Amino acid sequence: MRLLVFRTGLPRRTELILGLAGLFAFLGAWHLTAISGLIKPQFLPTPWAVVEAFGRLFTDRNFAGDIAISIGRVWAAFTLSVVIAVPLGLMMSSYRAVGAALEPFVDFVRYLPVPALVPLLIIWFGVGEASKIAVLWMGTFFQLLLLVSDDTKRVPGEYVESGFTLGASQWQIMRDIIMPAALPNIVDNLRITLGWCWTYLIIAEIVAASSGVGHVIWSLRRFVKTPEVMAGIVAIGIVGLLTDQAFRYAHRRWFRYQRR
Amino acid sequence: MAFLSIQSVSKSFRTDGVETEVLTPLSLDIDRGELVTFLGPSGCGKTTLMRMVGGLESVEAGRITLDGVTLGPPDRRRGMVFQSYAAFPWLTVRGNIAFGLKYRTDLTNAEKTAITDRYLDMVGLKAFADQYTNRISGGMRQRVAIARTLASDPDVLLMDEPFGALDALTREHLQQQLLGINEAEQKTTIFVTHDVEEAILLAHRVVIFSARPAQILSVVDIGAGLGTQRDEALRQSAAFQSLRHEIQDTIRVEYARAREAEEAHAV
Repeated sequence: MRLLVFRTGLPRRTELILGLAGLFAFLGAWHLTAISGLIKPQFLPTPWAVVEAFGRLFTDRNFAGDIAISIGRVWAAFTLSVVIAVPLGLMMSSYRAVGAALEPFVDFVRYLPVPALVPLLIIWFGVGEASKIAVLWMGTFFQLLLLVSDDTKRVPGEYVESGFTLGASQWQIMRDIIMPAALPNIVDNLRITLGWCWTYLIIAEIVAASSGVGHVIWSLRRFVKTPEVMAGIVAIGIVGLLTDQAFRYAHRRWFRYQRR
Repeated sequence: MAFLSIQSVSKSFRTDGVETEVLTPLSLDIDRGELVTFLGPSGCGKTTLMRMVGGLESVEAGRITLDGVTLGPPDRRRGMVFQSYAAFPWLTVRGNIAFGLKYRTDLTNAEKTAITDRYLDMVGLKAFADQYTNRISGGMRQRVAIARTLASDPDVLLMDEPFGALDALTREHLQQQLLGINEAEQKTTIFVTHDVEEAILLAHRVVIFSARPAQILSVVDIGAGLGTQRDEALRQSAAFQSLRHEIQDTIRVEYARAREAEEAHAV
Protein backbone atom coordinates (compact mmCIF):
# COMPACT_ATOMS: atom_id res chain seq x y z
CA MET A 1 0.00 0.00 0.00
CA ARG A 2 1.21 3.49 -0.81
CA LEU A 3 1.61 5.57 2.32
CA LEU A 4 2.73 8.89 0.91
CA VAL A 5 -0.34 10.11 -0.95
CA PHE A 6 -0.49 13.88 -1.22
CA ARG A 7 -3.30 15.39 0.92
CA THR A 8 -5.35 12.22 1.14
CA GLY A 9 -6.65 10.39 4.19
CA LEU A 10 -5.60 6.92 5.34
CA PRO A 11 -7.60 4.06 6.86
CA ARG A 12 -8.01 4.47 10.61
CA ARG A 13 -6.12 1.25 11.33
CA THR A 14 -3.13 2.40 9.28
CA GLU A 15 -3.09 5.69 11.14
CA LEU A 16 -3.13 3.86 14.47
CA ILE A 17 -0.26 1.59 13.43
CA LEU A 18 1.77 4.59 12.21
CA GLY A 19 1.10 6.43 15.47
CA LEU A 20 2.32 3.49 17.56
CA ALA A 21 5.31 2.99 15.25
CA GLY A 22 6.32 6.61 15.76
CA LEU A 23 6.04 6.25 19.52
CA PHE A 24 8.07 3.04 19.61
CA ALA A 25 10.72 4.49 17.30
CA PHE A 26 11.14 7.32 19.79
CA LEU A 27 11.31 4.94 22.76
CA GLY A 28 13.74 2.66 20.89
CA ALA A 29 16.08 5.53 20.03
CA TRP A 30 15.93 6.69 23.65
CA HIS A 31 16.63 3.20 24.96
CA LEU A 32 19.60 2.67 22.62
CA THR A 33 21.09 6.03 23.54
CA ALA A 34 20.66 5.28 27.25
CA ILE A 35 22.35 1.86 27.14
CA SER A 36 25.13 2.99 24.80
CA GLY A 37 26.95 4.54 27.76
CA LEU A 38 27.40 7.85 25.95
CA ILE A 39 25.25 9.60 28.53
CA LYS A 40 25.37 8.81 32.23
CA PRO A 41 22.22 7.13 33.61
CA GLN A 42 21.64 9.95 36.12
CA PHE A 43 21.10 12.23 33.12
CA LEU A 44 19.35 9.80 30.81
CA PRO A 45 17.81 6.69 32.40
CA THR A 46 16.28 4.03 30.15
CA PRO A 47 12.55 4.21 29.38
CA TRP A 48 12.03 1.14 31.56
CA ALA A 49 13.76 2.82 34.51
CA VAL A 50 11.25 5.65 34.14
CA VAL A 51 8.37 3.16 34.12
CA GLU A 52 9.73 1.56 37.30
CA ALA A 53 10.16 4.99 38.89
CA PHE A 54 6.57 5.73 37.90
CA GLY A 55 5.45 2.73 39.94
CA ARG A 56 7.69 3.72 42.88
CA LEU A 57 6.13 7.20 42.96
CA PHE A 58 2.82 5.56 43.81
CA THR A 59 4.16 2.95 46.26
CA ASP A 60 6.92 4.88 48.06
CA ARG A 61 5.02 8.12 48.35
CA ASN A 62 1.45 9.22 47.94
CA PHE A 63 1.78 10.40 44.34
CA ALA A 64 -1.89 9.73 43.62
CA GLY A 65 -2.70 12.26 46.32
CA ASP A 66 -0.39 14.81 44.71
CA ILE A 67 -2.02 14.26 41.33
CA ALA A 68 -5.44 14.69 42.93
CA ILE A 69 -4.32 17.95 44.56
CA SER A 70 -2.95 19.26 41.27
CA ILE A 71 -6.11 18.32 39.36
CA GLY A 72 -8.18 19.97 42.10
CA ARG A 73 -6.20 23.21 41.78
CA VAL A 74 -6.48 23.23 38.00
CA TRP A 75 -10.22 22.67 38.04
CA ALA A 76 -10.90 25.14 40.85
CA ALA A 77 -9.07 27.91 39.00
CA PHE A 78 -10.42 26.86 35.61
CA THR A 79 -14.02 26.81 36.85
CA LEU A 80 -13.56 30.23 38.41
CA SER A 81 -12.23 31.54 35.08
CA VAL A 82 -15.06 30.02 33.06
CA VAL A 83 -17.97 31.17 35.21
CA ILE A 84 -16.78 34.77 34.96
CA ALA A 85 -15.29 34.79 31.45
CA VAL A 86 -18.25 33.24 29.61
CA PRO A 87 -20.97 35.69 30.70
CA LEU A 88 -18.58 38.65 30.62
CA GLY A 89 -17.27 37.71 27.16
CA LEU A 90 -20.86 37.47 25.95
CA MET A 91 -21.56 40.95 27.33
CA MET A 92 -18.40 42.31 25.68
CA SER A 93 -19.49 41.15 22.26
CA SER A 94 -23.14 42.08 22.75
CA TYR A 95 -22.66 45.61 24.03
CA ARG A 96 -19.98 47.67 22.38
CA ALA A 97 -19.69 49.83 25.52
CA VAL A 98 -18.65 46.85 27.64
CA GLY A 99 -16.18 45.74 24.98
CA ALA A 100 -14.71 49.22 24.54
CA ALA A 101 -14.31 49.62 28.31
CA LEU A 102 -12.62 46.26 28.90
CA GLU A 103 -10.59 45.46 25.78
CA PRO A 104 -7.56 47.77 26.30
CA PHE A 105 -7.12 46.64 29.91
CA VAL A 106 -7.63 42.96 29.09
CA ASP A 107 -5.17 43.18 26.20
CA PHE A 108 -2.59 44.69 28.52
CA VAL A 109 -2.97 42.07 31.24
CA ARG A 110 -3.06 39.30 28.67
CA TYR A 111 0.47 40.12 27.58
CA LEU A 112 1.93 40.00 31.08
CA PRO A 113 3.95 36.79 31.48
CA VAL A 114 2.28 34.82 34.24
CA PRO A 115 5.58 33.70 35.89
CA ALA A 116 6.40 37.38 36.41
CA LEU A 117 3.23 37.74 38.44
CA VAL A 118 4.00 34.83 40.78
CA PRO A 119 6.07 36.85 43.30
CA LEU A 120 3.38 39.51 43.49
CA LEU A 121 0.63 36.96 43.88
CA ILE A 122 2.56 35.25 46.68
CA ILE A 123 2.93 38.61 48.47
CA TRP A 124 -0.82 39.09 48.15
CA PHE A 125 -2.11 35.61 48.79
CA GLY A 126 0.71 33.89 50.70
CA VAL A 127 1.96 30.39 49.87
CA GLY A 128 -1.37 28.63 50.44
CA GLU A 129 -3.92 27.40 47.92
CA ALA A 130 -5.18 30.91 47.14
CA SER A 131 -1.96 32.01 45.46
CA LYS A 132 -1.86 28.93 43.22
CA ILE A 133 -5.42 29.44 42.12
CA ALA A 134 -4.69 33.12 41.57
CA VAL A 135 -1.76 32.27 39.28
CA LEU A 136 -3.86 29.88 37.19
CA TRP A 137 -6.75 32.30 37.11
CA MET A 138 -4.54 35.16 35.93
CA GLY A 139 -3.10 32.92 33.25
CA THR A 140 -6.42 31.79 31.82
CA PHE A 141 -9.16 34.28 32.63
CA PHE A 142 -8.07 37.15 30.40
CA GLN A 143 -7.26 34.90 27.47
CA LEU A 144 -10.55 33.09 27.80
CA LEU A 145 -12.48 36.34 28.07
CA LEU A 146 -11.26 37.48 24.66
CA LEU A 147 -11.75 34.05 23.11
CA VAL A 148 -15.37 33.89 24.32
CA SER A 149 -15.95 37.45 23.15
CA ASP A 150 -14.63 36.54 19.69
CA ASP A 151 -16.59 33.28 19.53
CA THR A 152 -19.85 35.04 20.33
CA LYS A 153 -19.04 37.94 18.02
CA ARG A 154 -18.68 35.49 15.14
CA VAL A 155 -22.29 34.29 15.43
CA PRO A 156 -23.82 35.32 12.07
CA GLY A 157 -25.80 38.56 12.14
CA GLU A 158 -28.64 36.80 10.29
CA TYR A 159 -29.15 34.47 13.26
CA VAL A 160 -29.57 37.40 15.61
CA GLU A 161 -31.77 39.34 13.18
CA SER A 162 -33.90 36.24 12.60
CA GLY A 163 -34.31 36.08 16.37
CA PHE A 164 -35.61 39.64 16.56
CA THR A 165 -38.07 39.15 13.72
CA LEU A 166 -39.29 35.94 15.36
CA GLY A 167 -40.19 37.90 18.47
CA ALA A 168 -37.24 37.11 20.77
CA SER A 169 -35.96 39.74 23.21
CA GLN A 170 -32.27 40.64 23.57
CA TRP A 171 -31.93 38.37 26.53
CA GLN A 172 -33.72 35.50 24.78
CA ILE A 173 -31.45 35.97 21.75
CA MET A 174 -28.37 35.69 23.97
CA ARG A 175 -29.70 32.56 25.67
CA ASP A 176 -31.38 30.81 22.74
CA ILE A 177 -29.30 31.89 19.74
CA ILE A 178 -25.86 33.33 20.57
CA MET A 179 -24.98 30.81 23.28
CA PRO A 180 -25.96 27.64 21.39
CA ALA A 181 -24.44 29.01 18.16
CA ALA A 182 -21.11 29.82 19.81
CA LEU A 183 -20.99 26.88 22.21
CA PRO A 184 -19.05 24.41 20.03
CA ASN A 185 -16.26 26.97 19.58
CA ILE A 186 -16.37 28.01 23.23
CA VAL A 187 -15.99 24.39 24.38
CA ASP A 188 -13.05 23.99 22.01
CA ASN A 189 -11.42 27.05 23.52
CA LEU A 190 -12.10 25.76 27.04
CA ARG A 191 -10.21 22.62 26.14
CA ILE A 192 -7.21 24.62 24.95
CA THR A 193 -7.31 26.94 27.96
CA LEU A 194 -7.42 24.02 30.35
CA GLY A 195 -4.13 22.85 28.82
CA TRP A 196 -2.51 26.18 29.69
CA CYS A 197 -3.71 25.74 33.27
CA TRP A 198 -1.33 22.81 33.63
CA THR A 199 1.64 24.87 32.48
CA TYR A 200 0.95 27.57 35.03
CA LEU A 201 0.17 25.05 37.73
CA ILE A 202 3.61 23.45 37.53
CA ILE A 203 5.24 26.89 37.71
CA ALA A 204 3.15 27.75 40.76
CA GLU A 205 3.88 24.42 42.43
CA ILE A 206 7.62 24.63 41.77
CA VAL A 207 7.87 28.11 43.23
CA ALA A 208 5.85 27.64 46.37
CA ALA A 209 4.10 24.43 47.31
CA SER A 210 4.37 21.49 49.66
CA SER A 211 2.19 19.21 47.57
CA GLY A 212 1.17 18.59 43.96
CA VAL A 213 2.90 17.13 40.92
CA GLY A 214 5.12 20.19 40.38
CA HIS A 215 6.32 20.08 43.95
CA VAL A 216 7.11 16.35 43.70
CA ILE A 217 9.13 16.83 40.53
CA TRP A 218 11.01 19.76 41.99
CA SER A 219 11.88 18.07 45.31
CA LEU A 220 13.08 14.84 43.61
CA ARG A 221 15.37 16.95 41.44
CA ARG A 222 17.37 17.77 44.56
CA PHE A 223 18.36 14.10 44.88
CA VAL A 224 19.00 13.82 41.13
CA LYS A 225 16.32 11.13 40.92
CA THR A 226 16.11 11.62 37.18
CA PRO A 227 13.83 8.59 36.49
CA GLU A 228 11.32 9.92 39.05
CA VAL A 229 11.52 13.44 37.65
CA MET A 230 10.81 12.09 34.17
CA ALA A 231 8.04 9.89 35.51
CA GLY A 232 6.43 12.97 37.06
CA ILE A 233 6.53 14.76 33.72
CA VAL A 234 5.00 11.72 32.03
CA ALA A 235 2.23 11.75 34.65
CA ILE A 236 1.33 15.33 33.67
CA GLY A 237 1.29 14.28 30.03
CA ILE A 238 -1.07 11.39 30.78
CA VAL A 239 -3.48 13.55 32.79
CA GLY A 240 -3.42 16.15 30.00
CA LEU A 241 -4.04 13.57 27.31
CA LEU A 242 -6.95 12.02 29.21
CA THR A 243 -8.57 15.42 29.87
CA ASP A 244 -8.15 16.43 26.25
CA GLN A 245 -9.70 13.20 25.01
CA ALA A 246 -12.60 13.58 27.44
CA PHE A 247 -13.25 17.08 26.09
CA ARG A 248 -13.09 15.87 22.50
CA TYR A 249 -15.46 13.03 23.28
CA ALA A 250 -17.92 15.38 24.98
CA HIS A 251 -17.64 17.76 22.03
CA ARG A 252 -18.49 15.01 19.58
CA ARG A 253 -21.44 13.90 21.68
CA TRP A 254 -22.92 17.31 22.49
CA PHE A 255 -22.46 18.80 19.06
CA ARG A 256 -23.42 15.80 17.02
CA TYR A 257 -25.42 18.07 14.71
CA GLN A 258 -22.17 19.53 13.39
CA ARG A 259 -21.19 16.23 11.86
CA ARG A 260 -22.12 15.84 8.24
CA MET B 1 -54.38 54.55 4.10
CA ALA B 2 -52.41 51.64 2.71
CA PHE B 3 -51.61 48.67 4.98
CA LEU B 4 -47.86 49.19 4.66
CA SER B 5 -46.84 52.70 3.77
CA ILE B 6 -43.33 53.95 3.03
CA GLN B 7 -43.39 57.74 3.19
CA SER B 8 -40.53 59.93 1.92
CA VAL B 9 -37.94 57.56 3.34
CA SER B 10 -34.30 58.26 2.60
CA LYS B 11 -31.03 56.85 3.89
CA SER B 12 -27.35 57.61 3.81
CA PHE B 13 -24.40 55.86 5.37
CA ARG B 14 -21.31 57.53 6.78
CA THR B 15 -18.05 55.68 6.34
CA ASP B 16 -14.68 57.28 7.04
CA GLY B 17 -16.29 60.69 7.12
CA VAL B 18 -17.76 60.30 3.64
CA GLU B 19 -21.52 60.50 3.37
CA THR B 20 -22.97 58.08 0.80
CA GLU B 21 -26.58 58.48 -0.18
CA VAL B 22 -28.20 55.05 -0.50
CA LEU B 23 -31.85 55.97 -0.89
CA THR B 24 -33.22 59.20 -2.26
CA PRO B 25 -36.52 60.10 -0.60
CA LEU B 26 -39.06 57.63 -1.93
CA SER B 27 -42.61 56.60 -1.14
CA LEU B 28 -44.53 53.40 -1.76
CA ASP B 29 -47.84 52.00 -0.58
CA ILE B 30 -48.43 48.26 -0.30
CA ASP B 31 -51.87 46.74 0.23
CA ARG B 32 -52.75 43.99 2.65
CA GLY B 33 -52.07 40.60 1.08
CA GLU B 34 -50.08 42.06 -1.79
CA LEU B 35 -46.81 40.54 -2.98
CA VAL B 36 -44.42 43.21 -4.20
CA THR B 37 -41.02 42.43 -5.66
CA PHE B 38 -38.13 44.89 -5.43
CA LEU B 39 -36.08 44.60 -8.59
CA GLY B 40 -32.83 46.41 -9.22
CA PRO B 41 -29.09 46.11 -9.72
CA SER B 42 -27.06 44.53 -6.91
CA GLY B 43 -26.10 46.96 -4.18
CA CYS B 44 -28.60 49.60 -5.26
CA GLY B 45 -30.26 49.95 -1.89
CA LYS B 46 -33.39 47.84 -2.36
CA THR B 47 -32.30 45.49 0.42
CA THR B 48 -31.61 48.49 2.66
CA LEU B 49 -35.17 49.72 2.13
CA MET B 50 -36.59 46.31 2.94
CA ARG B 51 -34.41 46.08 6.07
CA MET B 52 -35.77 49.47 7.12
CA VAL B 53 -39.28 48.04 6.85
CA GLY B 54 -38.09 45.17 9.03
CA GLY B 55 -36.65 47.57 11.62
CA LEU B 56 -33.15 46.18 11.01
CA GLU B 57 -31.94 49.56 9.71
CA SER B 58 -32.91 52.81 11.35
CA VAL B 59 -35.28 55.19 9.58
CA GLU B 60 -33.81 58.65 10.03
CA ALA B 61 -35.80 60.55 7.43
CA GLY B 62 -39.40 59.89 6.53
CA ARG B 63 -41.46 57.15 8.13
CA ILE B 64 -42.82 53.68 7.54
CA THR B 65 -46.24 52.80 8.88
CA LEU B 66 -48.05 49.51 9.30
CA ASP B 67 -51.80 49.79 9.69
CA GLY B 68 -51.31 53.52 10.26
CA VAL B 69 -48.80 53.10 13.11
CA THR B 70 -45.16 54.15 12.68
CA LEU B 71 -42.78 51.18 12.80
CA GLY B 72 -39.77 50.97 15.09
CA PRO B 73 -37.29 48.26 16.11
CA PRO B 74 -37.69 44.73 14.73
CA ASP B 75 -40.44 42.52 16.10
CA ARG B 76 -42.64 39.58 15.25
CA ARG B 77 -44.91 41.64 12.97
CA ARG B 78 -42.25 41.72 10.27
CA GLY B 79 -40.74 38.31 9.53
CA MET B 80 -37.54 38.08 7.55
CA VAL B 81 -36.03 35.39 5.32
CA PHE B 82 -32.37 35.92 4.41
CA GLN B 83 -30.38 34.88 1.36
CA SER B 84 -27.88 33.01 3.50
CA TYR B 85 -29.55 30.03 5.08
CA ALA B 86 -30.32 31.26 8.57
CA ALA B 87 -31.81 27.99 9.79
CA PHE B 88 -30.22 27.24 13.18
CA PRO B 89 -27.83 24.27 12.95
CA TRP B 90 -28.24 23.26 16.61
CA LEU B 91 -31.96 22.67 16.16
CA THR B 92 -33.81 20.09 14.13
CA VAL B 93 -36.13 21.10 11.29
CA ARG B 94 -39.04 20.94 13.71
CA GLY B 95 -37.13 22.86 16.39
CA ASN B 96 -36.37 25.59 13.88
CA ILE B 97 -39.95 25.97 12.74
CA ALA B 98 -41.19 26.05 16.34
CA PHE B 99 -38.50 28.55 17.38
CA GLY B 100 -40.56 31.76 17.32
CA LEU B 101 -43.54 30.06 18.92
CA LYS B 102 -41.81 29.45 22.24
CA TYR B 103 -41.99 33.17 22.99
CA ARG B 104 -45.74 33.24 22.50
CA THR B 105 -47.72 33.28 25.71
CA ASP B 106 -51.05 33.56 23.92
CA LEU B 107 -50.89 30.01 22.54
CA THR B 108 -51.27 26.66 24.27
CA ASN B 109 -48.67 23.96 23.70
CA ALA B 110 -51.17 22.00 21.65
CA GLU B 111 -51.74 25.01 19.41
CA LYS B 112 -48.01 25.49 19.01
CA THR B 113 -47.57 21.88 17.95
CA ALA B 114 -50.45 22.19 15.51
CA ILE B 115 -48.96 25.34 13.95
CA THR B 116 -45.53 23.70 13.66
CA ASP B 117 -47.04 20.63 11.99
CA ARG B 118 -49.04 22.78 9.61
CA TYR B 119 -45.99 24.64 8.28
CA LEU B 120 -43.81 21.55 8.34
CA ASP B 121 -46.40 20.09 5.99
CA MET B 122 -46.79 23.25 3.91
CA VAL B 123 -43.10 23.32 2.94
CA GLY B 124 -43.06 19.55 2.45
CA LEU B 125 -40.52 18.72 5.15
CA LYS B 126 -42.57 16.35 7.31
CA ALA B 127 -40.23 13.47 6.52
CA PHE B 128 -37.24 15.55 7.65
CA ALA B 129 -38.78 16.92 10.86
CA ASP B 130 -36.19 15.37 13.16
CA GLN B 131 -33.12 15.99 10.99
CA TYR B 132 -30.55 18.61 11.87
CA THR B 133 -30.30 21.27 9.20
CA ASN B 134 -26.76 20.44 8.08
CA ARG B 135 -28.05 17.08 6.89
CA ILE B 136 -30.47 18.64 4.40
CA SER B 137 -29.91 20.58 1.17
CA GLY B 138 -29.71 24.35 0.79
CA GLY B 139 -33.17 24.45 -0.77
CA MET B 140 -34.62 22.55 2.18
CA ARG B 141 -32.85 24.83 4.63
CA GLN B 142 -34.43 27.82 2.96
CA ARG B 143 -37.83 26.14 3.21
CA VAL B 144 -37.16 25.69 6.93
CA ALA B 145 -36.43 29.42 7.21
CA ILE B 146 -39.62 30.29 5.32
CA ALA B 147 -41.74 27.93 7.43
CA ARG B 148 -40.15 29.26 10.62
CA THR B 149 -41.00 32.83 9.63
CA LEU B 150 -44.56 31.99 8.60
CA ALA B 151 -45.15 30.01 11.80
CA SER B 152 -44.64 33.15 13.86
CA ASP B 153 -47.48 34.70 11.82
CA PRO B 154 -45.98 38.04 10.78
CA ASP B 155 -48.12 40.82 9.28
CA VAL B 156 -45.46 41.38 6.64
CA LEU B 157 -43.11 38.83 5.14
CA LEU B 158 -39.74 40.21 4.01
CA MET B 159 -37.61 38.07 1.72
CA ASP B 160 -34.08 39.12 0.79
CA GLU B 161 -33.11 37.23 -2.39
CA PRO B 162 -34.08 34.01 -0.61
CA PHE B 163 -33.52 31.83 -3.68
CA GLY B 164 -30.41 33.63 -4.92
CA ALA B 165 -27.96 30.97 -3.80
CA LEU B 166 -29.94 28.01 -5.13
CA ASP B 167 -29.49 26.12 -8.38
CA ALA B 168 -31.95 26.91 -11.17
CA LEU B 169 -34.15 23.81 -10.76
CA THR B 170 -34.46 24.16 -7.00
CA ARG B 171 -35.17 27.85 -7.43
CA GLU B 172 -38.05 27.13 -9.81
CA HIS B 173 -39.44 24.56 -7.40
CA LEU B 174 -39.30 26.98 -4.49
CA GLN B 175 -40.84 29.77 -6.54
CA GLN B 176 -43.81 27.52 -7.28
CA GLN B 177 -44.00 26.54 -3.63
CA LEU B 178 -43.95 30.18 -2.57
CA LEU B 179 -46.79 30.97 -5.00
CA GLY B 180 -48.79 28.16 -3.43
CA ILE B 181 -48.04 29.36 0.07
CA ASN B 182 -48.92 32.91 -0.87
CA GLU B 183 -52.27 31.79 -2.23
CA ALA B 184 -53.03 29.95 1.01
CA GLU B 185 -51.71 32.58 3.41
CA GLN B 186 -52.33 35.88 1.58
CA LYS B 187 -49.34 37.40 3.35
CA THR B 188 -48.27 40.92 2.57
CA THR B 189 -44.83 40.27 1.13
CA ILE B 190 -41.81 42.23 -0.04
CA PHE B 191 -39.49 40.05 -2.10
CA VAL B 192 -36.10 41.44 -3.12
CA THR B 193 -34.46 39.99 -6.22
CA HIS B 194 -32.30 40.93 -9.18
CA ASP B 195 -33.80 38.18 -11.36
CA VAL B 196 -36.31 39.75 -13.77
CA GLU B 197 -38.29 36.55 -14.40
CA GLU B 198 -38.52 35.77 -10.71
CA ALA B 199 -39.71 39.31 -10.02
CA ILE B 200 -42.50 39.01 -12.61
CA LEU B 201 -43.55 35.46 -11.82
CA LEU B 202 -44.09 36.04 -8.11
CA ALA B 203 -45.39 39.58 -7.99
CA HIS B 204 -48.62 41.44 -8.00
CA ARG B 205 -46.47 44.50 -8.60
CA VAL B 206 -42.81 44.88 -9.53
CA VAL B 207 -41.01 47.93 -8.16
CA ILE B 208 -37.97 48.75 -10.29
CA PHE B 209 -35.14 50.58 -8.56
CA SER B 210 -32.42 52.74 -10.09
CA ALA B 211 -28.73 52.29 -9.38
CA ARG B 212 -27.44 53.80 -6.15
CA PRO B 213 -28.66 56.12 -4.77
CA ALA B 214 -31.89 54.21 -5.24
CA GLN B 215 -35.06 55.78 -6.44
CA ILE B 216 -38.13 54.07 -7.83
CA LEU B 217 -37.90 54.05 -11.63
CA SER B 218 -41.29 52.53 -12.21
CA VAL B 219 -43.90 50.30 -10.68
CA VAL B 220 -45.26 47.65 -13.02
CA ASP B 221 -48.66 46.16 -12.21
CA ILE B 222 -48.20 42.50 -13.08
CA GLY B 223 -51.63 41.45 -11.78
CA ALA B 224 -53.28 43.63 -14.43
CA GLY B 225 -51.34 41.97 -17.23
CA LEU B 226 -50.96 38.38 -16.09
CA GLY B 227 -53.74 37.89 -13.57
CA THR B 228 -53.24 36.21 -10.24
CA GLN B 229 -53.04 32.62 -11.45
CA ARG B 230 -49.35 31.80 -11.79
CA ASP B 231 -47.58 28.64 -12.79
CA GLU B 232 -44.46 27.51 -14.58
CA ALA B 233 -46.23 27.49 -17.98
CA LEU B 234 -46.84 31.20 -17.65
CA ARG B 235 -43.16 31.84 -18.25
CA GLN B 236 -43.58 30.82 -21.88
CA SER B 237 -46.63 33.01 -22.54
CA ALA B 238 -46.39 36.02 -24.82
CA ALA B 239 -47.74 38.34 -22.12
CA PHE B 240 -45.02 37.22 -19.70
CA GLN B 241 -42.28 37.58 -22.28
CA SER B 242 -43.40 41.05 -23.34
CA LEU B 243 -43.44 42.16 -19.72
CA ARG B 244 -39.97 40.72 -19.29
CA HIS B 245 -38.69 42.64 -22.32
CA GLU B 246 -40.31 45.84 -21.15
CA ILE B 247 -38.76 45.59 -17.70
CA GLN B 248 -35.40 44.49 -19.01
CA ASP B 249 -35.33 47.51 -21.32
CA THR B 250 -36.04 49.82 -18.41
CA ILE B 251 -33.18 48.26 -16.48
CA ARG B 252 -30.82 48.31 -19.45
CA VAL B 253 -31.39 52.03 -20.00
CA GLU B 254 -30.81 52.62 -16.29
CA TYR B 255 -27.57 50.61 -16.29
CA ALA B 256 -26.28 52.61 -19.25
CA ARG B 257 -27.18 55.87 -17.52
CA ALA B 258 -25.51 54.80 -14.29
CA ARG B 259 -22.35 53.71 -16.08
CA GLU B 260 -22.16 56.99 -17.99
CA ALA B 261 -22.63 58.96 -14.79
CA GLU B 262 -19.91 56.89 -13.14
CA GLU B 263 -17.47 57.41 -16.00
CA ALA B 264 -18.20 61.12 -16.10
CA HIS B 265 -17.52 61.20 -12.39
CA ALA B 266 -14.26 59.31 -12.82
CA VAL B 267 -13.03 61.86 -15.41
